[in-house]
Formats: sequence, C-alpha cells, structure tokens
Amino acid sequence: MINTMYQLDTLDSAKAFLASLLIGIAFGFFLERAGFGSSRKLTGVFYFKDMDVIKVMFTAVITAALGLTCCIVMGWITIESIYLMPTVYGAYVVGGLIFGVGFVMGGWCPGTAAAGLASGKMDALIFLFGAVIGSALFNEMFGLIKPLYQWGQGGVVFVYDTLGMSKVAFNVLLSIAAVIMFWGCEWIERRRTDQSLGKNTSVLKTLSVAVLTLAVVLVAVGSDLPSGEQPTGLVGGVISFESQLLEAIDMAQDHIEPEDLADRMLRREPGLVVVDIRPVIEYLDYHLPNVLNIPMKDLHQALMPYKNIGTIVLYSNGMTHPVQARDSLYRSGYTNAFILTDGLNGFVERCLTPVSLRDEIVRPETASKIRAWRSFFLDSAAPQAEPAPPNVGGT
Amino acid sequence: MRGADMENQDMTKTKYMNPYLAGIGLGLTLLLSFLVLGAGLGASSGLARVAACMELYIAKAHTLTSEYFGKWGQNPLQYYLVFMLVGTFIGGLCSALLANRMKLQVERGKQSSVRLRIAFALIGGVLVGFASRLANGCTSGQALSGTALLLTGSFVFLICIFVGGYATARFFRRQWND
Repeated sequence: MINTMYQLDTLDSAKAFLASLLIGIAFGFFLERAGFGSSRKLTGVFYFKDMDVIKVMFTAVITAALGLTCCIVMGWITIESIYLMPTVYGAYVVGGLIFGVGFVMGGWCPGTAAAGLASGKMDALIFLFGAVIGSALFNEMFGLIKPLYQWGQGGVVFVYDTLGMSKVAFNVLLSIAAVIMFWGCEWIERRRTDQSLGKNTSVLKTLSVAVLTLAVVLVAVGSDLPSGEQPTGLVGGVISFESQLLEAIDMAQDHIEPEDLADRMLRREPGLVVVDIRPVIEYLDYHLPNVLNIPMKDLHQALMPYKNIGTIVLYSNGMTHPVQARDSLYRSGYTNAFILTDGLNGFVERCLTPVSLRDEIVRPETASKIRAWRSFFLDSAAPQAEPAPPNVGGT
Repeated sequence: MRGADMENQDMTKTKYMNPYLAGIGLGLTLLLSFLVLGAGLGASSGLARVAACMELYIAKAHTLTSEYFGKWGQNPLQYYLVFMLVGTFIGGLCSALLANRMKLQVERGKQSSVRLRIAFALIGGVLVGFASRLANGCTSGQALSGTALLLTGSFVFLICIFVGGYATARFFRRQWND
C-alpha cells in the first residue's frame, strides 16, 4: 500500500517540493509537446478549428482515471489517501463560466501559459501577470465574495453517486463517451479544414480499443472484487474482520457516554462530528446543537469526508439504529464511528434532567456541570425557568 | 510580408506530438502525482501564491490580516504547487528548445494589432485568476485532476468553462483574424 505525501502530511517538506518540481517538468513538457504553448492552437477549440484541447485533455483524464482505478483494484492505494476537493456547486458554476470567458479572451489557462511563456510568448507573460492581479483582486474582495465562494457546498461528492450509478458503470460510460468524443473531434476537423481523416487514426484506433478493453476488464474485475479483497482470503478475512468488530464491541470501544459527549460538545472539540440519524421531522422537533442530520441510507456517502478523521458520534432516540449504522460503517473501514450510549433519551435523562428533579443526591460539582449542559443544550433564549426536558419518543 | 515570413518559419518547426500520445503522457504524469503527492496537478494556486507574495511586499500587515491570503502566512511561496508551476515552465522550456519552437513573439492573427492581443490577454488573465480562486482551481487542478478523480464539482466546472467559452468566443475572434 502506497502512503502518499498528502496522507503523511509531508506536502510541505523539501522532498515534496522536489517531487512537485519534477512532476511539473513532466507536466510542462507534455503541454508544450501537445502544442499547448500556443494560444492560437488552444483557442482553436472554441472555433472548431483545432480540437486537440479536447483530445489531449480527455485522453489524459481517461488515462489517469482508469490508471487510478486499476491501482485501487490492485490494492496499491486507497482513494482516501488522495486529496479530494469538496464540491461547491454555485461557486464552481460561476467560476467555470468566468474562467471560460477569460480562457477564450486571454487565449491561455494558467498551466499552458507557463509553457507558452517558456516558448517565448509575450502574451502568455501578460496573461500570467493578469492572473496574479485577478488572484489579488479575489483576496481584496473576499469579504464581498465569501457568500458566493461558499454557495452550494456539497462536500466531497463523486459524479457516479450524483448520477446514481456504480463507479464501475461510470468508468465504462466515461470510456465510451471519450472514444465517441475523439472520433467526433476528428470528424469536426476533417469538415472544418481540408485535412484528410487518417492522420491520427492509427493511434486513435489503438487507443479506442485499449480504453474500451480496459473498461471491460475493470467491469469483470470490479464486480468480482467489490472491495478489492483477495478472493482466496475472503472467507477467512470476513471471519477475522467480524471477530475484530465483535471484540471492539465487547471492549465497549464502540460507544461514548452521554456525559462525555456533553463535555466534548460543550468545549466544541475540533474534529467531533455528531450525527442525528433520525427522520427530519423528529430532528426538527428537537436535536442537539451543531449536529448533522443524515438519514441512515445516506450515511456512507455523507460521512466520507470524516472517514477516520476525528470522531463521529451517531445518535437516535434509542440505540438500535445507531448500532446497526455504526457496524455498517465499521465494515466499510470506518474506525472512528461511535454510538451514544442510551441514545437521545439517555442523554436527556442523564445530562439534561434538572438537579431538582433527580432522585439521587447530586454533588455540587456535578450540579454545576448539569447547569452548564442545560444552558448549552436547551433553548438558551429561556434559561431562567427550568425548561422541561424535550419530549422524545421511543426508538 | 511579415506574415509570409512567419508562415515559412512555421513550416520549419517540428510538428507537434500526436495529441493522443501527448494525452497519455499527461495522464501518466497526473497518475504519478496522485500516487506520490496524493494530490493532482495544479497551476493557478502557484500564481495566487505569487500574488500573496506581491501583496506582502506592498502591504505586509494588511495581507497577513486579510481573510484569504492571510492564512498562507509570511512565506506563501513555500508551497508544493509553487514548485510545480516552476517545473511546468522548465518542462515547457525543455520541450520548446528540443523542438526548436522557442521564439519571442506576441501570438496573434496577421490582421490583429499587438495592442488588442495584449489587452485581451491581460483582461482574460484577470478573469481566469479570479475565477480560479472562486472555484478552488483551474483547468489543471479542477478540470483535469478533479475529473480524473471523478469529482462532481470538477465536472460541473469543466462543463461551465466550455459553456462560457463557446458562448463568448465570437466576441474575441478578431484577435486571430488573418
């Protein structure tokens, strides 16, 4: 298994800088080789004169995407060890539209302009200067722009989930779409300029066959090995895995006590993610402050950004659903998911019942803790009277 | 006459690489970046770091307290994507020299003026620099790396680049008129 520098948190080391420099050299080299050191050639795509931008770009995307999927299937790397950018729908739509106008107007994008400057293009130098100014402008206007910058946050979302298909199916669809696009590009160029089709087709034919074959192989391998586990060790693996799960439960490593959670939420512990898995209607009725409301079926997708980062605490009214959800998460590799002992009912009873209503004798330090919890977790607008604990139903 | 000269020079230049082979080269570079760095390629972040550095030089206290650049601290250039941007330049230089394509010029159509091309390049650059910060990346970080990771946001960004580009292309066409 490869440990990436992102995973090891060493992207700020000298080694990472050297690796980035070398990767950048390869990047710039292939950009210039492809002819992307020419703004005229780059913008040709917008006038249907020169479709190389699409050909190069989608070949690169499909190569990297299929290559990465192969590495994951082989068990060499996990997708979590790569930095995944969260989606911000509104900001990306507006950003993309502005970028498109800037691209066709200026004739460059940042990476190609660096390659263009290297081949002596003074318009690339001016463009890069403009991009630096544009970045500074963004910083200066950040106060104004912030709502737009954060408009439509969706977390880390994969396109196959958005489209409601499996990852393997999307890989195949992408491969087919890329091959169709390549032939479409050749067709457009043949119509627009009087070049004869056939110049690039031997390479393209090989590429088409290779991409589609690889996609089919991925389907075969991917459906055999859904989680990338070796088939021979599968049964043994499952048993030892389930034993680990049961052992963790036996050692009470799977739950967190209400008092502990109350304290940690009160001091706003960084990395603590509390998830209310009840239906929205119950959530709206009453919920702990600063928690996420995620229906059971969406847990795997929505919690992806927090997988094995920080602490995830699941709660419902009782414990049945959180236990099932937590075990499901554990099976998918989450080692940081916990359930709240006795659920919301227990939390209310143990943390939020006023001192005056308790049967047992409460020590003064516990009493002051209870008062702090109550003012934090119950409606802070009416702290003077002792509000009745929220009415929560059974599991 | 000058135009004809340029055309003659074009003829002597080495032909570009087959686009599909160049694409495979770029794709393998990107894959290497995923496996080694655990992050994709990037270019606009490097430029933004240069912008932060310039702002620090002009108004240090203001920049350090600004909400966006401030979090990059006193040495914004100590960042892996700054080194990648330098590498991109060096790689482009190697390829251009090897192919004998290195030539000082303002690339434009024969009928177009240098002034127009420079103005478009400058304003286009400002728009691209701004949009890259808004979308947390450019054609390298989002449209190339993000789509290879099959991230929804990157596909949204990529589609919008083409929508924005095709919708306005005719307004900027005269810089390429021959």
